[in-house]
Amino acid sequence: MSLPPRPRQGLLSDAALGVVLLLLVIQLYLFETVLQSVLDGQRGLLPGAFAASLVLTAVALILAFKLPRIDDGPKH
Amino acid sequence: MTWWRRAFPLDLAEESQFSRREFARFLALVSAGFTTGIGFLWLRKKPLEGAAHPDPGPSGHPVALGLATDLGTGESRLFKFRDAHDACILLRTPKGELKAYRQTCTHLGCAVRFRGERLECPCHEGFFEVDRGFPIQGPPTRPLSGIALETHPDGSLWAVGELPKPTDIHARAATACPREAPTEEPS
Repeated sequence: MSLPPRPRQGLLSDAALGVVLLLLVIQLYLFETVLQSVLDGQRGLLPGAFAASLVLTAVALILAFKLPRIDDGPKH
Repeated sequence: MTWWRRAFPLDLAEESQFSRREFARFLALVSAGFTTGIGFLWLRKKPLEGAAHPDPGPSGHPVALGLATDLGTGESRLFKFRDAHDACILLRTPKGELKAYRQTCTHLGCAVRFRGERLECPCHEGFFEVDRGFPIQGPPTRPLSGIALETHPDGSLWAVGELPKPTDIHARAATACPREAPTEEPS
């Protein structure tokens, strides 16, 4: 007699993980762009870039920490 | 069983100890690190090492550079501009024009020097043209910071401020870079 399959705990869906990865790529590109601009002496875009980066980070944090564990098995 | 499991039939005991969620949390924290970095750049008032001054224009303290006629064609001279660490180079181009640039290479901050008809960064063999400081060869991608010069009626030369960075870098670099120049077909 075999045991029932153990529910997979704490897994994110493919889509959620993909979105988090995509957000990180956007963050990397944004940071590189901002750094180049600052090195060129153009600081005017810093407030907007910071706001955009903050939004991206908030979304990533929510996805990573608050998203329901959609792959969890039924609760007993 | 997924295809990559069949292709790589390795059973790692540790792989079950790192979940997707932990990985996503790590990525999110890295993302937060980027945000912190941008916030740091925003709050930091002092320009970064090698960066152009945020307020280009006339300087409150012009620097005397001697007589304009002292420098012959193809010659250069070093001077300090805003402070003792702000090394700049004054040169007379082959066309006879006087130009001055901050000496810091825009790649990794080495000191550029005037060689032949262009400015050379010896660390990684980056080259800049002398008319506007555009990179023409090697790793640098951004132009040098230009220093505004002024010649007084008595013939004395003064560094009076920083020039705004030119923006048509890609077009200029593409036409000036020997690697991008159209090559002639051998006959």
